Amino acid sequence: MLLKEIMMEWLVALEAQNNPIVLGRLLNAFRRKGVEIKTLTLGTRTAELSLMALVDSPEESVEHILHFLRVMVGVRDVACYRHEPSGKASFIFIETDDHSSVAKILAGFPLSKLVFASQGRYLVEVGEKGCKAVDGALDSIADFLPFARVRTCSTPTQAANPPEA
Amino acid sequence: MNLPNGSEILIESLLRQNVKVLFGVPGGVLLPFYDALYKGDLRHLLVRHEQAAAFAADGYARVTGQPGVCVGTSGPGATNLITGLASAFMDSIPVVALTGQVSAEVIGKDAFQEGDTIGISMPATKFSFAARSAAAIPGVIRQAFEIAVSGRPGPVLVDLPKSVLIERAPVDYDAEPLGAQPERRPEWRESDVERAAEMILKSRRAVFYVGGGAIASGAAEELRKLAELTGIPVTTTLMGLGAFPSRHPLSLGMLGMHGSYATNQSICHADLLVAIGARFDDRVTGRVKDFASGAKKIQIDVDPSEVNKNVRVDFPLVGDARETLRALIEAVEDRLGRGKGVLPGERREWLDQIEAWRAEHPLAYDREAACVKPQYLIEAISEQAEEDAIISVDVGQHQMWAAQFYRFSQPRTWLSSSGLGSMGYGFPAAMGAQVAFPDRQVIAIVGDGGFQMTLPDLATVSENGIPVKIVVVNNGSLGMVRQWQHMFFENHYCDVHLGRVPDFMKLAEAYGIRSTKVERRADLKDSLADFLGSREPRLLDVSVDPDENVFPIVPPGGSLAEMLVGPPVPAGEK
Repeated sequence: MLLKEIMMEWLVALEAQNNPIVLGRLLNAFRRKGVEIKTLTLGTRTAELSLMALVDSPEESVEHILHFLRVMVGVRDVACYRHEPSGKASFIFIETDDHSSVAKILAGFPLSKLVFASQGRYLVEVGEKGCKAVDGALDSIADFLPFARVRTCSTPTQAANPPEA
Repeated sequence: MNLPNGSEILIESLLRQNVKVLFGVPGGVLLPFYDALYKGDLRHLLVRHEQAAAFAADGYARVTGQPGVCVGTSGPGATNLITGLASAFMDSIPVVALTGQVSAEVIGKDAFQEGDTIGISMPATKFSFAARSAAAIPGVIRQAFEIAVSGRPGPVLVDLPKSVLIERAPVDYDAEPLGAQPERRPEWRESDVERAAEMILKSRRAVFYVGGGAIASGAAEELRKLAELTGIPVTTTLMGLGAFPSRHPLSLGMLGMHGSYATNQSICHADLLVAIGARFDDRVTGRVKDFASGAKKIQIDVDPSEVNKNVRVDFPLVGDARETLRALIEAVEDRLGRGKGVLPGERREWLDQIEAWRAEHPLAYDREAACVKPQYLIEAISEQAEEDAIISVDVGQHQMWAAQFYRFSQPRTWLSSSGLGSMGYGFPAAMGAQVAFPDRQVIAIVGDGGFQMTLPDLATVSENGIPVKIVVVNNGSLGMVRQWQHMFFENHYCDVHLGRVPDFMKLAEAYGIRSTKVERRADLKDSLADFLGSREPRLLDVSVDPDENVFPIVPPGGSLAEMLVGPPVPAGEK
């Protein structure tokens, strides 16, 4: 199907104010922009909310959605990762109940960095070389998807941080 | 110590934001707030429907550049505000809506007049706040106003439970600076501006395409300077009317679906299009893939999500329009000073070509008709209105005729629900504008269809002596829908003729408003002079040719090059 052919899998990771109104507006933005959510993971701290979503969306829409999310009130940082099976990936997304497999990767690749972790979903920066090495080594550890970071944006303005009312 | 309650804190917070007037309707949960208003110094204008409150706040904001404030009670009061907020959101207008809510302890329990205002307002606002305590109100209000005007402006809603409005709390209004100016950091570098200047000065057939963002940022002077510096003509969107003087030799008027032939031809033949605070709306572009297909495109916009949204651009400059234009002017002056680039005089050929297109198909209508042609009516208003008159329109044919035939000379004089296209906007928005500027001429040009959606607020202008001038362009139908049924649906007229159009003079009289009816062209100018010269609210009911259609028109799905410049000529007359 043509539509399916032009769809791409990508990851969006963002940091926002931990406020249910901000979260509600974010999810509504996904709905309105026609983004198909395959997995959605939330992590919360006192004032911060981290969201990572694995989504399907036409490639041509990705840039717009990224900017649309980053100008939303309450959103601080947005990063966008494109599924990159061609060996140019430097991030891996892992979905597993076995935390030890992630620990093995982090231990096995000293330059690797845990970007996001919540509810059995992990995003690990391993670098391009690391990703190739992981590719060979991971079969026995976990299922993973390789990604390349496309863009990151920060919104430092005061207005982006509404107070806890 | 007698601590203030949430309602008193709210009023003081609004006053500290320099709020002069609220447009609203009271209701049960807002009684504590209205009790505080009764005792306080903040003006409240009682309108007759909350939708009018939101539109009036929008009109106030468009003419002042400051947030307009509207108020509605919980449940229906809040939902009635939503259309106005959605319109403000589409047009990037700073409005702050204050809504009552049932007391915190019963939220979610289906209390009387409870509604999920936050949920309902999410897609219609830039942000929604739920105030959870009286002490939080100053911070919430300050943030609401900052968000409304910062970056790309827009509406913000603050939902206020009754329990918060009656709670007494210590308050510190000065905890943080108040009324902070919007922070609009450009995302471009100096080298980007230099590259844009180079592109502009290399072009031979460039056009500046200007939208509401230029008005929001106050960039009219900079736009004029850049146009004159480069000799590049300027077209505006519906939202951009007033950003560039209509009578300026470089003015192309409006582009798009009802843009003039010359303007749309210039877009089709341009080698460079510089979009300034414009969003490549479908009513502007027609068939997207053919829009300015031969032109390189530069896009200046404060909102990065507008870049490449509808049309791919070659070079985006994300930043405030005024700030970016100032940098561009500097870069252009520098290059021209070094003898680099096309001088304004060298664009004469391009301007002559545009003039030839204008001569080929000017905006036209039957100027000899005995009946009142609606275009003639608009031209007459344009001739007789004061230079700084504010024009507020509804949505439909009359809106397009006003956009085509009224001559605007300055920004913030044109009010139109352009993106959402909400009928019923024109009259209440004019009311809000008139409250902002009691001594200026404010003229609501409305259709007989849209006006019937807003009649109750005749009471508001009458009671308060708000001297809005209402011109009803009366053609007995929902004209634009009729035109489309005529042109694109084989004359299948379905529910567009307003058979029982009321006698607007009697209606006006019922509300204590003087009115005049005009049915003949010969009577129009004198009636108009008397009408516009009055210092009280007045209504002018003008019967116009009911069969007149808006031309040019780009048929739905067509490209700008496929525009129809006039009615199809019957086969036998070709």
